[in-house]
This record gives sequence, structure tokens and C-alpha cells, in this order.
Amino acid sequence: MKKIQHTGVIREYDLHSAPVKLGYAGILLLCALVVVVAVFPLLWVTLAGFKDLKEFLSSTSILPASLSPKPFVNTWKQLAISRNYLNSLFSVAGSVLSALVFNGLLGYGIGILKPKGHGAVKKLIMLSLLMPPTISIVPLFMNIQNIHLGNSFLPLWLSFGANAMYVILFVQFFESLPASIIEASRIDGASRLQAFFRIVLPMSKPICAVVSIFAINAAWSDFLLPYLVLRGPDKQTVMVRLFVFSTEQTVNADALMRSVVFAMVPPIILFFIFQKQLTENTVSVGVKG
Amino acid sequence: MAQSKTQPKGHAKLRGNIGSWLIMLPGLLLMTFFVWEPLLESIQMSLYRTRNVELENFVGLDNFVSVIGKDDFLQALLNTFSYTLWSLVIGFVLPIFLAMIIGETTRAKGFFRTAVYLPNMLPGLAVIILWSAFFSGSESGVLNILLKRLGVPAQSYLTNSKWVIPIIISIATWKGAGATALIYMAGMAGISPELYEAAAIDGASVWKRVIHITLPAISKLAATLLILQIISVFQIMYEPMVLTKGGPDNASLSLMQLMWQYAFGGAMNYGKASAVAVIVTLILLVMTAIYSYFNRKESDWD
Repeated sequence: MKKIQHTGVIREYDLHSAPVKLGYAGILLLCALVVVVAVFPLLWVTLAGFKDLKEFLSSTSILPASLSPKPFVNTWKQLAISRNYLNSLFSVAGSVLSALVFNGLLGYGIGILKPKGHGAVKKLIMLSLLMPPTISIVPLFMNIQNIHLGNSFLPLWLSFGANAMYVILFVQFFESLPASIIEASRIDGASRLQAFFRIVLPMSKPICAVVSIFAINAAWSDFLLPYLVLRGPDKQTVMVRLFVFSTEQTVNADALMRSVVFAMVPPIILFFIFQKQLTENTVSVGVKG
Repeated sequence: MAQSKTQPKGHAKLRGNIGSWLIMLPGLLLMTFFVWEPLLESIQMSLYRTRNVELENFVGLDNFVSVIGKDDFLQALLNTFSYTLWSLVIGFVLPIFLAMIIGETTRAKGFFRTAVYLPNMLPGLAVIILWSAFFSGSESGVLNILLKRLGVPAQSYLTNSKWVIPIIISIATWKGAGATALIYMAGMAGISPELYEAAAIDGASVWKRVIHITLPAISKLAATLLILQIISVFQIMYEPMVLTKGGPDNASLSLMQLMWQYAFGGAMNYGKASAVAVIVTLILLVMTAIYSYFNRKESDWD
């Protein structure tokens, strides 16, 4: 096995000098500290979930007195979170599909088909990146009410089909595809739409994966528009439930921490499945975007 | 980057253009409904008196006058600038520093990258509620438990008007800094190793290499991320909404939160809410314009 080399600012030969060696040890120590700061709160909230209310409010220990899962089970039942989980799954699934199809097709138009005038659309979408959606949430909410789509998942799904960042991601990826393959498919007589589904999409698994992961995470975490749109507990998603729960006057602090755990578990699972794609791909996104 | 040229030549071109626009149409309609039209509509709504979801009558700048005339507006405006300044102090340099130290590690680099990115995946709302327990002023608040071990008496955090904004920014930084650090790491990975080698041969110390090679190489990226950070922090809303409800005594109230209160805080005053949104948009536009003015030569947008 090849020895791993120091290839950053510090090079292999620098480590012969004692101060650099010491500095490098300091860097490792700092990195370890950063990991602790990043992970400790998650560990704490999980442990805190095992405490009952009395213990939660009075205990000055990080560790719970008992590790019985009963408090978690009780809170789960009390809040009837299963229903919210199903709603969230439903919301996430439609959002991801919508994110892939609509942003993908728009990106295909801008990045590959390039009809006359596509440059203006690209500029407009670039500008939209600067204006995150909260700023126009009031008129958007009014529009949704006006077309009587309140209390439905449809506007939430479709809102994911209008994401400037996903469009740009698709455009950047499509522009890097070899033009010859797409041209060849067109000569074969495939229509533009056929070429998209038969040629372009199968070549675009990496970018579809990235957009899907982003969309899953965003759809799961979103609560402002869902809170406004989804009225009543039967449609609430996990995050809406958590939002409503956190604003209640008589909320039990320990149960609140357990619902935080419930809200965090799916993204954490997603993270550990896709950590490689996430830590590598965000990177290319950020640099280009 | 390879540019594809798939446009057919001659008279088929027009038909091709129409077909292509049809493929883009659903996406464009959605962008219009969810992004572009609401942005324009908020301008229109800010000039009208509203009743529920209907525009009632044109009132000119009345909404603006009324919104700006209230004490909480000036407070929210100052707070929002304070959020932005604190985010520059706490949140701008930290990711660069993280990228530098993690970039120097060898074997455990992948592990460090994964660990710092993790908080970014967590739902923002859950993060805020989680940290509220850390900053609880009671004896059972996690920070107070930790401080007690060091012999420091229990402190109040979120009820202290001096500390509430830096604390909220620290929480946002905890969530976002790792992901930003990975962006910087990618930028730093693009620096040619020969530059460092050559500098080392010339006798430049590690520190000098950082100052003269690493930092200049990421300066453009840093400028872009800076303006994106300012724009995003300027719209801070749900963090104070959930954590402090704008308190203590409006000390953490942000402009966007003020907008939310006008619209959804019971008053359903969408006209006034839109006036606040328009003011925020204008401030953001001015900041973006200033940024592009200073950055005009190096701009690579497009």
C-alpha cells in the first residue's frame, strides 16, 4: 500500500522541522475538537430523549438514569407521529419526482437544446438563485389559496419543480455531456423528448442522484410553506407537527426533544447512505454555483 | 466545458425552437407561478390595502409609511444588520479555517469531512429546537451543566438582549459552516501543488505559503460566498421565530419575521407584509449592486 503523503500546504519534507510537526499535531487536535462540536449535540439530544420530564428538567447529568426506550415509544404514540411520517413520505416522494422532471426538462432545454432566447431564461434563473423563496411566501400563499389548492400536497410538490438551483445543476451537468451522442440520437429520428428520456437521463444518473438527495432533504425539512398550506393534523408532515408542537404553550420539554430525534433520524440515515455523494458533490455544486 | 450545438440548420430551425420551448414550458410555468410572479406580485400588493386574499384598493405608499412608522420596524432593521454583521464575524472566516485545517490532514480526512458536513443535513427547525435546550437559562440547560463543571455559575442566554443575536448566528454557523468548508476545500484542491513545491524550494515557510498562495487562490470564491451569505442571513426568519419569538423585548426580531407577523401573526395584513418584503428586496438589490460594482471585472456569472 502506498504511504499517504502530505499534499496540502504542508509538504512531506516540512515535517522534518519540529515547529511544523507541532503545528500539525495542533491541527489534528483542532479537527478532533471540531468533530466533537459537530456530533456532541446529536448525541446529547438522543440521550436526553431517554429522560422523563422530571429528570430532564432537574438532572445536571448528560447521561440518562435509564436507557429504556419507553419514553420514545410513549411520545411516538402520544403525538401519533406515524401519520405525520406517512404524510412526510408522501410529500417527499412527489417533491423529488417533480424536482427531477420539471427542473430536468428545463435544464435540458437550456443546456442541450438551446433554442433561440434560452440565454435570457438562464440569466433569469441565475438571478432567481439570489432571491430565496421566503421573501415572496405571502403572495405565493395567496395564489395557492386563490386557485383553491390549499390543504393539498400538490402545491408543495410543484414548488419543487421550480427550483433555480436544481435547474442550474442540471444545466451544468448537461453542458458537460458529449454533444455528439445527443446529436447522433437526433439523426436516428428520436424526438427531443425521446432523446431526453432515452439518451440524456440514463447518462445523468450522478446529477439525478444529487438533485434527489437535495430534494429529499429539503422536502423533509421544509415547514413554512407546508405549515401554511397543510391545515389540520391529518395532513401535517413531521416538520409541521414539530413546528406546531414547539409553539404550543404547554409543551413538555422532554417530549419536544424526542420529537426532534424523530425529525432527525431520516435525514441522518439518508446522510450515512449517501455521505460520499454528498461530501463530494456539494463541492462541485458550490464551486460552480 | 464542451458546448453542445444541437440546433438544426435552415428552415427546420424555427420548428426546432418551438419544440424546444414546449419542452421547457412546464418548468417555466412553475418558475413563473412559484418564483417570478410572486416576486412581482409582492410589489403590487405592497401598494394595496388587502382583505384576506383579495386586493381591496390602491393606497400608494401608505403601507410603507405605516410599516416604517412603527417602532418595531427600526428595531427589526437594526437587528437584521446586526445578524448580518455577526454572521460575518462568526460565520465567514470559520469555514475557510476549517477547510484549511481539514485539508492538511491525511488519513482521517474523509472522516473529518463527513463529520463537519453532518449538521448541514439536519432539518433547520430541529436544529433550532435542539439548541434551545443547550442555551436554556435554567440549571438543566446543557451549557449551564457544562459550565458548572468548570465552576462557572448558571447564565441566562436567550433572554439576554446582548447575546441573543450572536447565539442565533452561532447556531446557524454550527449547521452551515461544515458544508461551506467543503466548498472551500474544493477550491483549494484546484491549487496546483507545484506552486507550493516551488515556494517551499524558495524557502517560504508554511505560513507564508498560506498567505501568498492559498488565500489569494480562494479570494474570488470567498467573495462570491460572502455575498451569498449576506443575502441569506439578511432573510433570517424562522430561527428567531422559533427560538425567541423575537424577544427579549424585540431584541432578536428580524425584518422577515416582522413580515411573517404582519401576514400570518393573526392580523392577515398581506399588504403591510408585502411592504416589508419589498423593503428587504430593495436592500438586497442595493447590496448585490454594490457587490457587482466592486466585483465587475472578475465576474464570471454566465
